[in-house]
Amino acid sequence: MSLDAPPPAPRAEEGPQVGADEWVARQARRREYLPSWLGRAQRLGDRVGWWPRLAVAGLAAAALPLLGLGGFQLQVGIDALVIALLAVGLNIVVGWAGVLDLGYVAFFGFGAYGFALVSSGQIGADGIHLPSYVSIPLVMLAAAVLGLLVGLPSRRLIGDYLAIVTLFFGEAFVEFTNNVAPGALGGPNGIVGIDPVSVFGHKITSNGGYYYLLVVVLVVTMAVLRLLEFSRTGRAWRAVREDPLAAASMTVPVNWVKLMAFAFGAAVAALAGTVFVAQQISVFPTDFDTPILILVYAGLILGGAGSIAGAATGALVVMVIYDGLLRSPSDSGYLFYGLILLTLLVKLRPWRRLAVVLGACVAFGFAAHAIAAAISARAVAGGPGSTGWIASALHDWVIVPANATVAGNYGFVALVCLLIALVQAGPRWRTILLVPALYLASFVWETRLVTEPAITRQLMIGAILIVMMNARPQGLLGQRRVEAIT
Amino acid sequence: MSAGEDVAAAAGPEDGGAHGRSVLQLEGLSLSFGGLRALSGLDLEVRDEEIVSLIGPNGAGKTTVFNVITGVYEPSDGDVFFAGKPIAGLAPHSIARMGIARTFQSLRLFLNMSVIENVMAATYGNTKAMPWESVLRLPRARREEREVRALAADVLSFFGQRLAGYRWDQPAYSLSYANRRRLEIARALATRPRLLLLDEPAAGMNPAETHEITELIERLRAERDVAILVIEHDMHVVASCSDRVVALDHGVKIAEGGFDQVASHPAVVEAYLGRDPEALSDAG
Amino acid sequence: MAFFFQELVNGVTTGALYSLVALGFSMVYGVLKLLNFAHGDLYMVGAYVGFFVIQWFGGPTAVSIPVPLLLLIMFVLAAAVVGGLGVAIERFAYRPLRDAPRIAPLITAIGISFFLENAALLLFGAQFRVYNTADFISLSSGITIGSVTIDSVQIMVLVLGLALMVGLRELVNRTKLGKQMRAVAADREAAEMMGVNVNFTIAATFFLGSALAGVAGVMAGLLFNQVTPTIGFIAGLKAFTAAVVGGIGSLPGAMLGGLLIGVAESMITGYAPPGYSTYTNLFVFAVLIAVMLVRPSGLLGRAQLQKV
Repeated sequence: MSLDAPPPAPRAEEGPQVGADEWVARQARRREYLPSWLGRAQRLGDRVGWWPRLAVAGLAAAALPLLGLGGFQLQVGIDALVIALLAVGLNIVVGWAGVLDLGYVAFFGFGAYGFALVSSGQIGADGIHLPSYVSIPLVMLAAAVLGLLVGLPSRRLIGDYLAIVTLFFGEAFVEFTNNVAPGALGGPNGIVGIDPVSVFGHKITSNGGYYYLLVVVLVVTMAVLRLLEFSRTGRAWRAVREDPLAAASMTVPVNWVKLMAFAFGAAVAALAGTVFVAQQISVFPTDFDTPILILVYAGLILGGAGSIAGAATGALVVMVIYDGLLRSPSDSGYLFYGLILLTLLVKLRPWRRLAVVLGACVAFGFAAHAIAAAISARAVAGGPGSTGWIASALHDWVIVPANATVAGNYGFVALVCLLIALVQAGPRWRTILLVPALYLASFVWETRLVTEPAITRQLMIGAILIVMMNARPQGLLGQRRVEAIT
Repeated sequence: MSAGEDVAAAAGPEDGGAHGRSVLQLEGLSLSFGGLRALSGLDLEVRDEEIVSLIGPNGAGKTTVFNVITGVYEPSDGDVFFAGKPIAGLAPHSIARMGIARTFQSLRLFLNMSVIENVMAATYGNTKAMPWESVLRLPRARREEREVRALAADVLSFFGQRLAGYRWDQPAYSLSYANRRRLEIARALATRPRLLLLDEPAAGMNPAETHEITELIERLRAERDVAILVIEHDMHVVASCSDRVVALDHGVKIAEGGFDQVASHPAVVEAYLGRDPEALSDAG
Repeated sequence: MAFFFQELVNGVTTGALYSLVALGFSMVYGVLKLLNFAHGDLYMVGAYVGFFVIQWFGGPTAVSIPVPLLLLIMFVLAAAVVGGLGVAIERFAYRPLRDAPRIAPLITAIGISFFLENAALLLFGAQFRVYNTADFISLSSGITIGSVTIDSVQIMVLVLGLALMVGLRELVNRTKLGKQMRAVAADREAAEMMGVNVNFTIAATFFLGSALAGVAGVMAGLLFNQVTPTIGFIAGLKAFTAAVVGGIGSLPGAMLGGLLIGVAESMITGYAPPGYSTYTNLFVFAVLIAVMLVRPSGLLGRAQLQKV
């Protein structure tokens, strides 16, 4: 082999074109934002900075009860904050370290039961009643150790297997607390009579008190995690998520880092468990079943895995809707129709098109109702399931037959098929199909969904997971990720 | 460029030589995947601040050598010595901490992390701050964070204007291909290696960029005191910056020496170009 | 001793059921590298289909057509409906995510599973639907060896299960479609470049896997009598266990795993001291963990090498 002359040296470089390259970089950043006014709000938020945003959010949350929230609303708030705390903890494992932990809710339960056992009359003659400032850190530490143990299989298992093993661990926990040592753990009846949390000697016994406690705990946890995110540990977590092999080749002990993620996530979950159980004064095995896990995941995915604020916000939004749907039929109707209108407002642009669609929908409805009434009186004999002014407004618009249940069931199946067709259709057909889809949605709501709020909200959670992963995997507040295809 | 050495068989023990002590020594290294023999009895030595090029046709086992050295694979037979210590079978992150760093043939950057975070992440094994120290901003954590940042800035500045300051907070996926290759080298440098393994650093580069890479490799050796083992296909790079060239084919070393010697070695020519059909018909 | 064999028979029968579900699960994992968490719920849908077929033809006590015909319709319809449902799920939920990071289809699968369970709850209600098998199949016409009885339903399950497993094995190993499935499972891109219609192959895999689950659902209804929206979850867990223990992606492994889990379950329920039978599930989990730690790729699975 012989070589030609070596290539010429490059021209003298002035360096990259600052005006051009930097501008390009900035434009790329701009495309990450949501469109129109939402994007402007995001950009304003970014300019303000993370810590002021946290402070504002915390103060707003603390101020909320002062607007005169009643007992039920306060409970919703407490539940929402607990789930938000769980989502923030899950974010460490799933969002930062990239490990799919499907048994996360077991750590929540462990913290709850742990606190219950050391703060109640359950063990021994008079029970153990450790003060909170001892029991809570103790339980968190124990949970961290448990997290390390549970994470140990990750050494030998690749991602999918680990997901299954953690899923089983979660299931095992529920079975364990249900069946094992009924004397100590209370079996299906759980443990009651749990001590309240005491802060600086002051016992918290009211819902309002627990609300404020949770706001403080959530804000402090988010702050701690933020500091961790940009520390050496946080960088290691994110490197492991990106590319474990490359991370290992760059001095990062991948297995240990994953174990740390498990431990930290478990500690946060346990913390949530302790406060949860103190507020409830009782604990049962069914508090930690799969639906709770899925709720936390839905919150994390909706808000954006990988982002602390995303995890908390997503969970709060999901919980507010989740609990809101359980309220009286008229209120849940506001929620249902309100969400639909909101989605249309955000997604259907220009607003002229939106107006056309809504108008067509209204006309379509009245026409359909009239035709159905003409054909058969039974077809419109029933009334809308909602109550309040929505129901009276819809009375002559939506078709509600006498046997609403059966018709509603068929309508449900038809609605799912129609929605799938909607997603697959091109833009023009999509607008056209939107009209019967909206009408059908209202039909199904009034005949079936509004009367079964417990099932409806579960359906919504499942739908959130499916839709978010397909439409916007980075969640509402997350950053779009670039993945190398290997 | 150094004085060419004679075509060598096995490397000798740690003798002085032109480049000082032995940094890396492979002795009789073999690796099999089931029935496939990826490496057979490979002997290789790299000395302090030496630049050794590893060449050979595709599938010869060059990247496999890197994988064995860095602990991704465990050899079936033979030994790997780093500065005299045996390292075969250790975990990759331990080997990296000892002072061996590498880049990858198909880039493996942390794409969603920023440029400077990519580099800072590589300092994990050489720092000690515990998570709670970082959270509480204790002195050791603060000091280490400052040092890590300074190290990253220093390493990135090695590439001059290419990875200039304003790029540091941009996500790695926004970098051009050539810059991504440079970032990978920068990240490897952040581990303060004594031995740097570069896997096809000039792949996919145009002649001007290739020239830059060649200069870069020499500057690395001069300014950073590293020994470098380079896998390359581009012979311009191999010719201009290697002290020694080792040729592999089918997992076996077929030649070793200066570039001209190896390039004209009949076994190497055959490996790359096949045997001369006229010579075949003459013989048969 | 007779007790042992009776429990063994019961265990093998339920094992056959788990094997069918595990097979479908393993097949899907093989071609898509996706853990289809919704698989157990497909089994549940199959059970409901069988139930409604019985109702359509007059209900368990007054079946209007010959029983063999009824069974045939039940199985075929369940296979078709559930198979179609599986294809639809793949087409609309998993296909857009084919090149997305692994976590995306996994979470989607969880969402689909949850959605299916609640949709069934909404459409069919939470009350137990019973097959009342004894009303239309004479259970006494079985085989009795000594004091071990294998009733006719169990025989049918075993025979049908075996036939399906053999049929599947022949399909995978001897037919062109089977070859395509194996090719896609090995390397999807390369298979595409070799002229394999990947979309069709994956859809066919889903159809077959889901159809098997549907058939298993009908069998479950016949054997266990009760159908509720949540039976899919537990069955799914056990099928995962079986598939993973046997080595995920390996079809013989799925069969072996299913059998093992079925027999283990039977033995524990049979021999456990009173009050401890609720520990069955826990024990199954423990078996899973043990196998995972000792042989991470399952009993018959192959460790997967990663090209660096």
